[in-house]
Amino acid sequence: MSTTQLSSTLETGAAPKARSRRPRWSLIALLGPVTAFLGVFFFMPLAIMAVFSLLEPGLYGGVVWNFYADNFGRILGWANGPIEEFDPVYLSILMRSLRIALITAALCLLVCYPVAFWVSRLPPRRRNFCLFLITLPFFASLIVRLYAWVLILRPSGALNGLLAWLGISDAPVGLIYTEAAVLIGLVYIMAPFMFLPLYASIEKLDRGLIEASYDLGAGRITTFRRVTLPLTLPGIIGGSILVFIPTLGNFIVPSLLGGAQVLMIGNLIEQQFLQARNWPFGAALAMLVMSVVLGLLTLYVRATLRRQATDVPGKEAQA
Amino acid sequence: MKTLLIHVRKRLLTGYGLLFFAFLYAPILLIVAYSFNSNPINMMVWHDVTLDWYRAIFGLPHQLGDSELYADSTDQLLAAVRTSLTVALTTTLFSTLVGTLTALAVARYRFRLQGFYRFLLFMPMVMPDIVLGIALLIFFISVGMPLGTGSIIIGHCTFLISYVFIVVSARLAGLDTRLEEASADLGAGPWTTFRRITLPLIAPGVIGGAMLAFIISMDDLVITYFISGVDSTTLPVFIYGLIRRGIKPEINAIATLLILASLAIAAIGLYLRNKQHSATPATPDKTDPAND
Repeated sequence: MSTTQLSSTLETGAAPKARSRRPRWSLIALLGPVTAFLGVFFFMPLAIMAVFSLLEPGLYGGVVWNFYADNFGRILGWANGPIEEFDPVYLSILMRSLRIALITAALCLLVCYPVAFWVSRLPPRRRNFCLFLITLPFFASLIVRLYAWVLILRPSGALNGLLAWLGISDAPVGLIYTEAAVLIGLVYIMAPFMFLPLYASIEKLDRGLIEASYDLGAGRITTFRRVTLPLTLPGIIGGSILVFIPTLGNFIVPSLLGGAQVLMIGNLIEQQFLQARNWPFGAALAMLVMSVVLGLLTLYVRATLRRQATDVPGKEAQA
Repeated sequence: MKTLLIHVRKRLLTGYGLLFFAFLYAPILLIVAYSFNSNPINMMVWHDVTLDWYRAIFGLPHQLGDSELYADSTDQLLAAVRTSLTVALTTTLFSTLVGTLTALAVARYRFRLQGFYRFLLFMPMVMPDIVLGIALLIFFISVGMPLGTGSIIIGHCTFLISYVFIVVSARLAGLDTRLEEASADLGAGPWTTFRRITLPLIAPGVIGGAMLAFIISMDDLVITYFISGVDSTTLPVFIYGLIRRGIKPEINAIATLLILASLAIAAIGLYLRNKQHSATPATPDKTDPAND
């Protein structure tokens, strides 16, 4: 999924051509299956989850059908009942998840921006081959790619072997089960999500504008800051959102590379469902993740639509 | 001096690009290399080339593997492969059918809820896996539906319909609608026009969407993790469990086979897509094909 689609899915609302010849019943037949399926198996589960997040957790798993707003309070650390004290442990996990997702997006950007630039300047044949090579690992099994990093980062792993062989360090570096390990794993699996939107906007970049900037006496840094960066901003923002969203709720990477040390909100949700059996609290956490993601997307789609509304005349003038 | 500087800069950028490819591929190659290493204690130290780990996972006679452990595991592995294939094939069929029907309706009809349907199909793609996973888990438990192959298939379809929809819509957007009009003018009924004109034209998009759905379904871990029953583990969930229990050389062999299989399918898919793109340059592709 690329950013162009992300926005175009929503915005190309107007139907291209009216088809008065086509009968109404066939439209109903075409849309019936998807309406029924997504209604029952997508929206209904989300609605039930929303209801669960407001119910009281049962003593031994399950729910008690009482309105109970404390699930959300608990996320913020509010004490619940006389035996609990204010404890921001969940809040700190939430903050860590947001921080890790942000850093991951930033790192992906730093890693991918120069590469996208490089690829866009290659001759067409080699450029296509490079794009192919960058897209390919994206299809290789996710779990296998993460397993590779477990092999590399564990104490007796490939990284320490390499360091010892190079004579840099004999003492094993304990990288696995740290936040750094989680970040490496996340950047590794998220990089293609950043690369493709970035590449799309860098490739469209009019090189004449950069040359014009040089001709007008701007240095490299000024040109980058004033010309290149603003023009590639849509790709940067789109890529960052595409990285941020799946990273925020990710629990596979922290569970394999972070262990018990680097819990993210995804791990917390998983625990509520598979170990603690506190479903309402887990549902409340999931509602929180969902709201953050949907909020971000709404902002993004709105901003894109506004930009396109103002941009289009300018673009036509250019062409 | 200035040209030299530019030259150096260019070299640096190339070096960085190559480093990026090393970052992408070295971990994968490492697993492949490890899977042939006969050192049973420490994979890091190269002993000899062996195929024993591959023999071990298929329950064939071997010396190195822990035979007692893997006698049981082989059955589980094969069962997981079977479940994965059953799920992926069923999901692909269903989501391709429903996704294509929806794309046709949204692209070729004008109706009031058009914007709503785009939104409807956009939602499952952006919903975080873990949210969809637990929502489905709560749902299946609440309505009393047993967790198993059926629940996994339903779970996968909820988001794969959207992927197929996007790919087929992109194809439909690039098509010349006059072809269909001409067919109707020449006296063909709607069904004949669809079968003889529309379907052949959108076939590459439908096939592309189906391949994408198959690959994603085979690879899905998070949603499946929550809604798979005790005896219906898919391959990624099975491997995740193995890794959590401890690292063994046999995992390298399973991982290598899985990489080979998925890369082969993806390479064929991407190759076909590129070929198609160069064959039909006239289609004004405003929307990207979704499989990137």
